[in-house]
Amino acid sequence: MSVVASRVRQGRILLQMAMRNLVASRVRTLVVGGIVALGVVIVVLGSSLLDSIDVGMTRSIQGSLGGHVQLYNAASRDPLALYGGTMGESVLEPIDDFARLKAAALTVPGVKLVVPMGIDQAMVSMGNVFDVALERLRADVRRRMEQGAPADAPDYEAHKAHLRRMATLLQQELRAAREIADETSGVYRDRKADFDALSTAVEGGFWETFDADPLGSLEFLENRVAPLSLDGGFTFIRYVGTDPEAFQKAFPGAQVVEGSPIPPGQRGALLGKLYAEEWLKLRAARRLDKIKEARDLNGRRIAKDEELQRWVKENTGQTRDILLQLDPVRTREAVRRLQAALGTKEEDPGKIVAALLDTNDDNFDARYRIFYAELAPLLQLYSVKVGDFITIKAPSRSGYVSSVNVPIHGFVEFRGLERSALAGMMSVLDIHSWRDLYGYMTPERAAEVRRLKERAGARTVAREDAEAALFGGGAEVPVEPVAVKPFDEAALLLAGGGRQSREDLFRRRYTQAETDTGVALNAAVILDDPRRIGETMPKLVEAAARAGMKVKAVTWLEASGIVGQSMGLLRMVLYLAVLIIFAVALVIINNAMVMATLQRVKEIGTMRAIGAQRRFVLVLVVVEVVTTGLVFGGLGAALGIAIVHAIGWTGGIAATNDTMYFLFSGPALIPRLGTASLVTSVAIVFLVSILSALYPAVLAMRVTPLEAMQSDE
Amino acid sequence: MRTIRILALLLLLAPLPARSLSQEETDRVIRKIDEMERSGGDYKALVYMEAKEKDKTDVVYELLAYRRSGDQKLMFLFLEPKTEAGKGYLRLEKNLWFYDPRVGRWERRTERERIGGTDTRRGDLDESRLAEEFTAKWEADEKLGKFEVHRILLTVRPGVDVAFPTVRLWVNKENGVVLKRQELALSGRLMRTGYFPRWKKVWSESKKGEVWYAEEMRYYDEVEKANQTLLLVKSVDTRPLETNLFTKAWLESKSR
Repeated sequence: MSVVASRVRQGRILLQMAMRNLVASRVRTLVVGGIVALGVVIVVLGSSLLDSIDVGMTRSIQGSLGGHVQLYNAASRDPLALYGGTMGESVLEPIDDFARLKAAALTVPGVKLVVPMGIDQAMVSMGNVFDVALERLRADVRRRMEQGAPADAPDYEAHKAHLRRMATLLQQELRAAREIADETSGVYRDRKADFDALSTAVEGGFWETFDADPLGSLEFLENRVAPLSLDGGFTFIRYVGTDPEAFQKAFPGAQVVEGSPIPPGQRGALLGKLYAEEWLKLRAARRLDKIKEARDLNGRRIAKDEELQRWVKENTGQTRDILLQLDPVRTREAVRRLQAALGTKEEDPGKIVAALLDTNDDNFDARYRIFYAELAPLLQLYSVKVGDFITIKAPSRSGYVSSVNVPIHGFVEFRGLERSALAGMMSVLDIHSWRDLYGYMTPERAAEVRRLKERAGARTVAREDAEAALFGGGAEVPVEPVAVKPFDEAALLLAGGGRQSREDLFRRRYTQAETDTGVALNAAVILDDPRRIGETMPKLVEAAARAGMKVKAVTWLEASGIVGQSMGLLRMVLYLAVLIIFAVALVIINNAMVMATLQRVKEIGTMRAIGAQRRFVLVLVVVEVVTTGLVFGGLGAALGIAIVHAIGWTGGIAATNDTMYFLFSGPALIPRLGTASLVTSVAIVFLVSILSALYPAVLAMRVTPLEAMQSDE
Repeated sequence: MRTIRILALLLLLAPLPARSLSQEETDRVIRKIDEMERSGGDYKALVYMEAKEKDKTDVVYELLAYRRSGDQKLMFLFLEPKTEAGKGYLRLEKNLWFYDPRVGRWERRTERERIGGTDTRRGDLDESRLAEEFTAKWEADEKLGKFEVHRILLTVRPGVDVAFPTVRLWVNKENGVVLKRQELALSGRLMRTGYFPRWKKVWSESKKGEVWYAEEMRYYDEVEKANQTLLLVKSVDTRPLETNLFTKAWLESKSR
């Protein structure tokens, strides 16, 4: 008999014995197999969740603002932080000519797109509600003065009626304050004139004569009445100035959720949806949304939650914002609708709105529906709407304060980062407006400043020497009578140069070359293959150097600043969690295998006594373990895959707070199987099972047949 | 006896401690400052403004400052540099408005507004109303450089909105002009120091008298130590201004 035939026969016998052993010890096989299967299920689930989170977060950041590689001026003091750093915005030196950098970067193989960016924060002036209403009326007046007054002007009349109503509401509000004020105090006397002005603004006579002197009447309202309304002010906005067309192509994660994208080559802005929700939405509506979210997602209840109770109280006590928005016609309509919806005969607008907002756990859902279905259509829910212009103001690079008007084309949401307070607040602005705000100090501007200084003959006096230099030995206080010097402001103003009209600016369509030529702070680079980030970065730096520009190249993760760091931390926590799951699974499998093998010492001794070689016994144990591992590991993997799919079918794991939302890159985590990590994790479980069985098997083999047969069970 | 005489002589020759100003005298000093600077009618000045800030390019402006005594109206109209031309501030009643022709909008500002983003405040170019806005207290008589001065502490009156609630003045004893001014926050922290080394006066027909103005004003920021602002009044005109000048419509028309 040949050696091969003998080995085959031995193998067959070994396999038969292994199978018979497994079947004979069903309970043991099932227990060990069950543990292996459980370990594999845990590992498959854990690795799928981790993979999905990692891929989702990467896609969110790359697809929203990060791109694959970011380039910025190497002379910059701070590192680039797309979402801001712990010390505020990064101070970056500008890229003087983006067009040159773009051309250089596009010569590098694998570079698909280069997008200019400039990130900054600025103020948006909101004004108080009176100022906003008065600005609207002033625009009407201006138009009427320029184009003549039409016989029928319903908007103009409605705006006037609205202002009169606002004055009436303000008077009612302040009347209560006056009743408790000390009439002998100086403050009371000072403010009496203001109260009197308010009375005038409420009277019919004032409005009847409004058209006789509209500008004078407006100034009366603006300077005497509006200051009594102590709300408003300004809010901060964080934006990325960019080429909107290129941005849209490069960042599919930035989605316009209302309105439309900024038209190619034109000026405009897309406001961050989260920013609009937090800062521009009517406060009562925002509080209702927050209560709804707390109830629906987090299971909180008004009756048991102090914060929700406070929001309800604020809503019922602060109806003024809503009432001030309603002109007399809309007020009547609002009362009519709410009477029908709430089944009440209450006539007072303030009381009926307060009744609507007085919510509890029983009526909340119904009241929420009534608010949005009946009252909201009569209101402007956001202080800025699509089609409006906002004024953004920022201290510019040249030191002067710059302001620009920008039309709002829509609201933008960054997929996966919708709820991230850092990333979701971002708005998108056209690069031309951004450049105006940035106010780059051009050589022409610097020369103009120099010329003004020379003309004034100003000398610099250091703080330390000021008193000695100004009032010391040689100083005198010369007092000379001087002749009156007439000067003509019109001529002086003309010397300041002409300005392009605002309307022209918004109609203008910029060419791609005009958009590219000019300053930017950083550039996002999109690659054909994101796996080539590492090798492309030095090539980009070299290409820029050849074009005479020193730039730094960083990965999207490095550029993500705080968001990148928090993502890194979350990743670490997740990996640690999976590692622990893995370790626990392996320890359980190992223990089960050791125990199972040690139990068979007597059996192994018997086999050895009837002539089985050590090697034969060892291979037998390994075959049994491999078979158990294969069968139950396979079952475990199948079960894991089924659970992953089942989670997906049921809509995924819901995010119940903002951190989970960021982690899941959306409202729910739908785990997906990563083939590589699935195969690796199953292989590791399998290998560990074999290794866990081998050690006790070797121990068992060292036992002599005599010792084995003498040992207790 | 001889020793006693010498001692008596020395005592007589020794400088006498400064006599404190009575409250009435202190108030008179403050009222005199207001009166000297009061234009008693219309006033127009061409002003150069320069601000230096740490790590930043110098900011310079040329602007026109208009004021009218009767109803405390005030307006600034920026002329240069080109990018700033047409911007303006308008004070009406207790409101300070800012206008930017680039955006065509009026914005309400507070008394603490930093004019044109510099360390200049509205009050620096407005008529002096110290007696109306503050109560005064004499602190000391001393020397500032080579000048004999009164040092007077001013505290804001209740209900009055000013940029700084406490002010310390060094007033030239000889002619009553302010040479130095320290401005303090409510906490007592020194915020800004101003020096006024050069003064001029111009005849005003409406006042039937002379209007004094500081030709050079230097402000040093005491919080951001590297920041300083210089104001130079290049020329002044006290002839009557257009009646409707202090209106939004006028400023808009000039900026168009």
